[in-house]
Parts: sequence; C-alpha cells; structure tokens
Amino acid sequence: MTLNLCVLTPNRIVWDSEVKEIILSTNSGQIGVLPNHAPIATAVDIGILRIRLKDQWLTMALMGGFARIGNNEITVLVNDAERGSDIDPQEAQETLEIAEANLRKAEGKRQIIEANLALRRARTRVEAVNAIS
Amino acid sequence: MAMAALRREGRRMAAPLITPHPINPLRSSLASSDREHTLLGVRSISTQVVRNRMKSVRNIQKITKAMKMVAASKLRAIQTKAENSRGLWQPFTALLGDTPSVDVKKNVIVTISSDKGLCGGINSTSVKISRGLHKLNAGPEKECKYVILGEKAKAQLVRDSKKDIELAFTELQKNPLNYTQVAVLADDILKNVEYDALRIVFNKFQSVVAFVPTTSTVLSPEVVEREAEAGGKLGELDSYEIEGGETKSEVLQNLTEFQFSCVMFNAMLENACSEQGARMSAMDSSSRNAGDMLDRLTLTYNRTRQASITTELIEIISGASALEG
Repeated sequence: MTLNLCVLTPNRIVWDSEVKEIILSTNSGQIGVLPNHAPIATAVDIGILRIRLKDQWLTMALMGGFARIGNNEITVLVNDAERGSDIDPQEAQETLEIAEANLRKAEGKRQIIEANLALRRARTRVEAVNAIS
Repeated sequence: MAMAALRREGRRMAAPLITPHPINPLRSSLASSDREHTLLGVRSISTQVVRNRMKSVRNIQKITKAMKMVAASKLRAIQTKAENSRGLWQPFTALLGDTPSVDVKKNVIVTISSDKGLCGGINSTSVKISRGLHKLNAGPEKECKYVILGEKAKAQLVRDSKKDIELAFTELQKNPLNYTQVAVLADDILKNVEYDALRIVFNKFQSVVAFVPTTSTVLSPEVVEREAEAGGKLGELDSYEIEGGETKSEVLQNLTEFQFSCVMFNAMLENACSEQGARMSAMDSSSRNAGDMLDRLTLTYNRTRQASITTELIEIISGASALEG
C-alpha cells in the first residue's frame, strides 16, 4: 500500500510518483501522512516536506500552498518547490544572509512583512540542504 | 489588415483593365506613369505602375512571412509553459468543481485578450462570449461586471458596455509571463472587485490550428460554502477535514484566492499560445494571398510590356510605310 504523491508548482510538476510516507508542515504544525490517512484539505506553510521512499528520506523546500489528502492520493500545490538535492548549500547560505540583512534594514510594515517572508524562504532552503547531509 | 490592403490593390488593378475603350494610337503607353490616364480608361497601363504595385506586394509578403516565423518561435516558447501549468488547476476542479451554471448575484467576467492585432478572430470570439455571458447573467437582481485584460477586448467592449467595466489591464505581455506577476494581478482584482462568481473567458489552445473559447468559473468562499450544503460536487468538500488555519472559512478563502490565481495563470498562458498560433495561420494565409496576387500582377506586367512593344512597332512600321509612300 503506497501513497501517490504529486507536487505541483505553476511552472512545472516537481514530483509525481509513489512514496511510503511524508511529513508535511502546515500552519498548525507538522503532520505525518501514512497510507489510508483520513481525507483532509490543508494549507501548507513555507517549510520542508520530507518524503520517505523505502528507508531513505528526501527533503523538499516548499514555499506555501495547499495540500489535499484522500484515497491514498496526496496533491500538494505550492508557489514554488525545490528538491534538497538541487539546492546549492553555499548559495542558500548566502541568500539567507542577504535576507537577514534586508530584514534589519527594512522599514515600514510592508517591507518588514516581505523581508520576513524572504527570510523564511531562505531559511527553509538552508534547512532542506542541511537535513540531507 | 494586410489582406484587406491586398484586396484593395486588386480592385484598383481590375478597374482599368475591363473598361471597354478602344486603344488610342496617339497615346503612347511608355511615357504615362500617372494614375489619371489609367482611370480615364486607356487600356495601356504603364509598366511602371504595375512594377510599383509588384514591389509593394512583394514587401508585404516578406513582412508577413517574417511575422509568421516570429510567431512560430514565440509559440514554441510559451507552449511548454502552458502545458506545465495545466496540471495546476486540475486538483482545484477535482476538489471544488467547475460549475458555470451557478446562479449568483454578483458576476464578474474576466476577459483575456491580446494587446496586438493581426491574430485572426480570437479576440472577437472572446468578446462575443463575454457579451453572451453578460446577457445570460444580467437580470433584475443580478449584476454583471467586466474586468478586461488586453487592449483588443478593451477597444471592443468600451464601445457599448463602458459603464460595466470595472478594471482594465493592458501591456501585460511586455515581460514573459510568470506566476508572481499573475499572482499580483489576481490579488489586485480580488481586492477591487466584489464578486460571488468570477468567470474567466479565454481561448484554450488545443493545437496550432484549433483554439476553443472556454470559460472557467471560480466561486467566492461564501458561495462555496452555500453550494457545499446544497450537495453535488461541492458536497464532497465536507468529507474533507479542513486543517491549517484558524477557521474553515479562512482556509476556504485562501483556497479560492489560490485557485483564482492558478486558473488565471493557466488562462493567460493558453490565451497567449492561441494568439501566437492564430497569428501564425493568419500571416501564413496572408503570405499565400500575396503570392497569388504577385502571380497575377506578373502576368499583367508581361501583357503590358508586350502591348507597349507592339504599339511601338506599329508606330515605327506605319511611320516607315508612310514615308515610303
């Protein structure tokens, strides 16, 4: 019994195959999904998606969206998604530092909110890279 | 537009040729290059005039051929993007359904069209469908507004439905379409327009020669809840436990906003593909017409040339025989 996972972004299909288990981060915390999970529709936060194939865990950085789980089919729709293995650790670290600097410089409510979002995205990418290695 | 210009050229050519006036031997056809002589019905048209027309038709043919190739290359680029974005709105339709027959008070019709012309009839079909939807949905208590994307639809709809237009966006294709830009646009629309149902009208790209005008319906969260209670496709929504957010309605609202921006993104990409495809076929038929026109003009040119040579010979020979006595 395996789950069929589909991760879609507006630009391309990032993942479309069977997995054993996933761990998804939502606004209200992380949820683990095993086969025969109850049907739910949930909002996905900017965070990491962990996928287990056999005994190996893969990470993917997700930038917010929705997920629908039902009938052993998981559909995740996000604004952007990157596989942990596709992210360059050096570059992710630099992006994180730039985002932190921007947050410190930001003034005005809108800039602070945008800088915060950018920071969370950069942090997620760094975590995705680190979680594998 | 190019084809109309070619047709006009053809009419100007045909008129002097069919006037039944006898050849006036005193008028030599070689010298006259002005239009007045031709319009007066002299059958001998100057070769210079025909040559000028051939040159302009040849230029038009080159231009339309080049436009066709440009459209073909642009089409290739956008087509892959459009196909990738198709997978995005399918889960939404599977979850929330696409019910164009929903009956709501406030309808907003989002018409997507191109900014540039010369692309066949796709903009006119979109506007026709929008007007049809407007008629269907306008009634005593219901109201129907337009949000227009693209210069062409704006030009057509401003003529008779000016008061119903809420927002109009143009010059969207300056930068290649990407999701962030469309998300901002969708946000803009949602903020400024009150709606119960949004109907997006666009041309779906089925193949390089087939564009189907389609409409996708996105419902506002309140209507979704109402319909969910009524049953049907949306009734299955209740079987899903909604998580991730304070309340169910907040999640539903985010969901419908996300749905709208995804559907808009796909609609804009498909419409852009249809536009390039329609432009390709329009420019192709235009080049072919120009080629036909050029063939006919070449025949006329040869006939004119031979006629002038014959006239000159006649003059010389008759002059010589008159001298001999």
